[in-house]
Amino acid sequence: MVEDSYTREEENYEDEELDETSFKSVKDAVLFAIDISSSMLTPRPSPDPKKHGDESPASAALKCAYHLMQQRIISNPHDMIGVLLYGTQSSKFYDENEDDRGDLSYPHCYLYTDLDVPSAQEVKQLRSLASPADADDEVRQVLEPSKEPVSMANMLFCANQIFTSKAPNFSSRRLFVVTDNDNPHADNKGMRSAATVRARDLYDLGVNIELFPISQADHEFDTSKFYDDIIYKTSPSDGDAPAYLQPDTNTSTAKGDGLSLLNSLLSSINSRSVPRRSLFSNVPLEIGPNLKISVNGYLLLKKQEPARSCFVWQGGETAQIAKGVTTLMSDDTGQEIEKSDIRKAYKFGGEQVSFTIEEQQALRSFGDPVIRIIGFKPLSALPFWANVKHPSFIYPSEEDYIGSTRVFSALHQKLLESKKLALVWFIPRRNASPVLAAMIAGAEKIDENGVQKIPPGMWIIPLPFADDVRQNPESTVHRAGDALNDAMRDVVRQLQLPKAVYDPSKYPNPSLQWHYRILQAIALDEDFPESPDDKTVPKYRQVHKRAGDYILKWAEELKLQASEMFGGSVAATSTLVKRGAKTEAAGEHPSKRVKVEDSEAGVEDEVKKCYAKGTVSKLTVAVLKEFLHAHGRATAGKKADLVDRVEQYFEQKI
Amino acid sequence: MAEKEATVYIVDMGRSMGERHHGRPITDLEWAMQYVWDRITATVATGRKTATVGIVGLRTDGTINDLEEENFSNISILFGLGQVLMPDIRKLRETIKPSNTNKGDAISSIVIAMQMIIEYTKKNKYKRKIILVTNGTGMMSDDNIEGIIEKMKEVNIELVVIGADFDDAEYGAKEEDKDSRKAENEILLRSLTEDCEGVYGTLEQAVSELDIPRIKVTKSMPSFKGNLTLGNPEEYDTAMTIPVERYFRTYVAKPISASSFVPRSGTEPGSQAPVKGNAEGDALASVRTSRTYQITDESAPGSKIDVERDDLAKGYEYGRTAVPIEQTDENVANLQTFAGMGLVGFVQKDQYDRYMHMSNTNIIIPQRANDNASLALSSLIHALYELESYAVARLVTKESKPPMLVLLAPSVEADYECLIEVQLPFAEDVRSYRFPPLDKIITVSGKVVTEHRNLPSAALKDAMSNYVDSMDLVTTNDEGQPTDDLPIDESFSPLLHRIESAVRYRAVHPNDPVLDPSERLTEFAHPSEDMVKNAKSNLEELMSIADVKKVPPKTKGRKRQRETEKPLSGLDVDALLSLEPKRTKISTENAIPEFKQTLSRAENIDTIHDAVQQMAKIIETQITHSLGHSNYDRVIEGLGTMREELVDYEEPAVYNDFVRQLKGKMLREELGGDRRELWWFVRKGKLGLIGKSEVDSSAVEEEEAQAFLAPN
Repeated sequence: MVEDSYTREEENYEDEELDETSFKSVKDAVLFAIDISSSMLTPRPSPDPKKHGDESPASAALKCAYHLMQQRIISNPHDMIGVLLYGTQSSKFYDENEDDRGDLSYPHCYLYTDLDVPSAQEVKQLRSLASPADADDEVRQVLEPSKEPVSMANMLFCANQIFTSKAPNFSSRRLFVVTDNDNPHADNKGMRSAATVRARDLYDLGVNIELFPISQADHEFDTSKFYDDIIYKTSPSDGDAPAYLQPDTNTSTAKGDGLSLLNSLLSSINSRSVPRRSLFSNVPLEIGPNLKISVNGYLLLKKQEPARSCFVWQGGETAQIAKGVTTLMSDDTGQEIEKSDIRKAYKFGGEQVSFTIEEQQALRSFGDPVIRIIGFKPLSALPFWANVKHPSFIYPSEEDYIGSTRVFSALHQKLLESKKLALVWFIPRRNASPVLAAMIAGAEKIDENGVQKIPPGMWIIPLPFADDVRQNPESTVHRAGDALNDAMRDVVRQLQLPKAVYDPSKYPNPSLQWHYRILQAIALDEDFPESPDDKTVPKYRQVHKRAGDYILKWAEELKLQASEMFGGSVAATSTLVKRGAKTEAAGEHPSKRVKVEDSEAGVEDEVKKCYAKGTVSKLTVAVLKEFLHAHGRATAGKKADLVDRVEQYFEQKI
Repeated sequence: MAEKEATVYIVDMGRSMGERHHGRPITDLEWAMQYVWDRITATVATGRKTATVGIVGLRTDGTINDLEEENFSNISILFGLGQVLMPDIRKLRETIKPSNTNKGDAISSIVIAMQMIIEYTKKNKYKRKIILVTNGTGMMSDDNIEGIIEKMKEVNIELVVIGADFDDAEYGAKEEDKDSRKAENEILLRSLTEDCEGVYGTLEQAVSELDIPRIKVTKSMPSFKGNLTLGNPEEYDTAMTIPVERYFRTYVAKPISASSFVPRSGTEPGSQAPVKGNAEGDALASVRTSRTYQITDESAPGSKIDVERDDLAKGYEYGRTAVPIEQTDENVANLQTFAGMGLVGFVQKDQYDRYMHMSNTNIIIPQRANDNASLALSSLIHALYELESYAVARLVTKESKPPMLVLLAPSVEADYECLIEVQLPFAEDVRSYRFPPLDKIITVSGKVVTEHRNLPSAALKDAMSNYVDSMDLVTTNDEGQPTDDLPIDESFSPLLHRIESAVRYRAVHPNDPVLDPSERLTEFAHPSEDMVKNAKSNLEELMSIADVKKVPPKTKGRKRQRETEKPLSGLDVDALLSLEPKRTKISTENAIPEFKQTLSRAENIDTIHDAVQQMAKIIETQITHSLGHSNYDRVIEGLGTMREELVDYEEPAVYNDFVRQLKGKMLREELGGDRRELWWFVRKGKLGLIGKSEVDSSAVEEEEAQAFLAPN
């Protein structure tokens, strides 16, 4: 952990989310507390008998925890997660032993996964608990409910101790309580008040309790019975963030079947999977000269990249990551040098032009952080192409200016209503390079489970400067005739995405998922999965079924217009055209393959024939390259490599 | 590859150039050199060997040129055509000074410059240029001017004449009481440049335009060449295939980057630089980095040992498990993909949220010289355009590259058609942070409230609406007509151009301080004065209704009202806490909550003192018992909590006393050995003394607080 802080300081990314004001380390720890009672363990039937949808609330909760654990390994590799079962017959807490029963500090609390950055082993263990049907007896025994009730105070203090010792000084610590029991100590006032006191301890410790209530078949979960005494209005770690404590409307009412319970719980937990970390805080939004309000900035959209590869040392019992240490040396003496001795210089005219550190800073400084509105424009003024990176999201804060929220809201509503954007001069943090940006209002979006998908607020879209705009390369324009456009329109109409909308949640990043899936398999010494589950691959069958005929019609029309326009033969056009309408025009091609690049069909056949005869190596490099390129294969390397690749292509196809 | 260049600058150095005219604080020569240096350094900055420059001095005291004729006296070649480097700049800076003569013919200097270019460039392909900068007061002879013009055209040299106080009706410059000889010279030079189809201008304009940033034009290379497909041509005969190419539409231009250097050994900072060349650059040695690898081994001293790079395998982290990957598995871990752009489906334009754009943008155009592709793509572009739709596609730019999902929008202009492409977010790229609605407030009990101090009143909404409508940004096109465009073409990357011009300025003026950014670069930092004036009354109205109040810095971060520290039900937990019999002493395992609770119940300062004493003991014990850094995070959390609370309760002295003692004990190694690393954490967390700026009643001055945390 020490190393982390040392090295993290070195990295200074523009987009890094920082908490500059606090002594705490910007990390998140989530501890699941899952109630294991007999009602939680009772499977709820699925309405669809074909699917294996029988799901008990407890197994739904465990599946969610497992899902979240896997997800966070990818998205938050330094954050911790743990699973505490309570109400279990058996108990487990660190070194304590089941046998000396009398001394157990936390009876009926079973710390199944210790709070930590998960290891591959723990992922596997949790997976086996989440699908106990495949697990061995030992695992199943864990899920045996206790006969006597568990003390909630005890459970909360157990969680307290886990956070205190395993996640000290984290900026975000959260206890996710999943239960269907809305009144655990209905008839014991003492137990009840003990629980409220322990809840207060957690609040004072900076732990946020988030409740995922599950209604029982016969009655709605009623938070006023017990949990309103346990849960606090504001989040202790993020005091100025407005709390959003509305239980997600559908979670608590999903009393019916198992699947919808699982889905609504997943959606609800997913929406809280990452702690809210600000990108910049309390930056003034200057609406006009002398009218400032304060806002916080967040990164709601950020490209998730796989973690960089590292070096692993396997000499010990367990493999461990070797830490790279960089030493700086002077080129003339070879002596090690301190960071503070380093000067920055620019190459110029064969020498270096240097600036002192103060001058360097002065050059980078364009004033204090600000989002300053310099005018408004209709939304339509923002061209589709005018984009350089992901946007930032801003939401008002009352920290610096009282009244920020109402003014922000008035502006938000006005921009939405009049379809306008604000042009802003944007300096997100000290010494950040200023950009000109379009600030647009975004409306709140709710998903089918009643969970917020897109929060209401403003988006700041950095615009390109004149320096960032590239000239269009030359291109010949042959405008298609109406009939061809009409034919294409028919195709487009057939293939709209559901609701004519792009929904990112439907498309996990296939290479990221595959990468971690393989890592998991290697770490657990399991078999590699056969093929990736790639949701981004177009649905070819559907395209064929729904639009196939229209595409053929379009192709006919294309052939017609092309022959009218370009005279049907290669020679007639110009010397530039080496790809003529040869094969298509000849009409001999047995398949109706719709190719615009026609000569390729010739290449295609030729290569195919040679493959059948085993004479691929007789083909020229040019032909091989053209074939490979047409099939999206790399064209680099020697001829032998190209031949290999072509043969591979055919082998895979069969 | 950029074209080769041969540019000769002719600088008038006559005595009259040393004079100041029309109330300018600088001499004509200094003024002219602003322009000349800017141009020369711009060339030097490219670092190109083939961008050659020559410099000729006009009306110099001596004569340095090959044409040994009377006509060519007082003209000196100061720098023959070639790449200009820093030592040359330094030398020229010394040389270019006003002379003691006004003799020397500008027209002759042009002939000399032509001679230089012709000799240097021979018949090769070059961009040839002569730039004459003068105040036009010397003698000029128009002998054989036709011959000069003819030659100039023959070898294709562009002539630029820039004059101090030259009349220029177009720019609006006119010198009153112009000297008659100067007027004649101006006529001569103007007709000469016009006959050569060159550029004639006044220095005032040239200098004023120096701060218009020059944009580097980059030739784009295709980042993808392949097939745009609909359906799978490998499997179905109904698939559509259109060969396309992809180029950048936007790409962020990065400022030039600085490299790291250290002062060369033997040159103390501030001491005289080496004798040869007073170059600052010579005194710097570059920095090399070397990387070693360490692993944790508790048994080793310092619990770390170095390992050889060769003993390490490549791998990744999976949670806290290190996963080594064999070379053979490496390919498996990368998703197998093949290049191509496959259409996934279509979406409605008005259903798309513009903020989903994740990247720079690209354009998709048909494969070069493929008419069929052009025709086919055109029909897709127009179909999308007419249906007000976008296409979603899966793009793999090269074999084995990770796939991305991109959005394709049609772009139809009078003589250009393409698809504009931008990356879309994947599921993992969307972080769900939740925020309450902005137009209503939902209470704990689930009631919807529409009137609240955090919600705008109808009056505020009206005032905002009026203000926004009065602040429309007006942009105009070349003809001055208002447009709906954003001012992208007129906005320049402030950092890029500022650094670039600072480097060039520093190269010529090594002793001057860095300059403020030019006005051009900060043009959009503020709304225009006209707009502000225009919207003034609306803004005042808005401000009075909005009633925004700045929070005084003192109360910032002050404990929130106590009411928020109650659970949702509003139950008074404090009352319950005071009934807890056990909570008289702060326990080690529940220290932070109990410390906070003790303070909140404290009725007198003694209780606070006592609580701090107890915490101090707990923290010291934690430090003493810490194996390595095992307890450090807990210690920092404890310290931080104490400091925060005592700032809130305005009891700085109690904390300050404690932290002073703690620092002493730690540095004297009284708490279980070497605790310098912990002290580093204390410094990093800024957990030192509470100064006056934080709490008024503190006796600690700011300097003392800073000194306390200073590195040893």
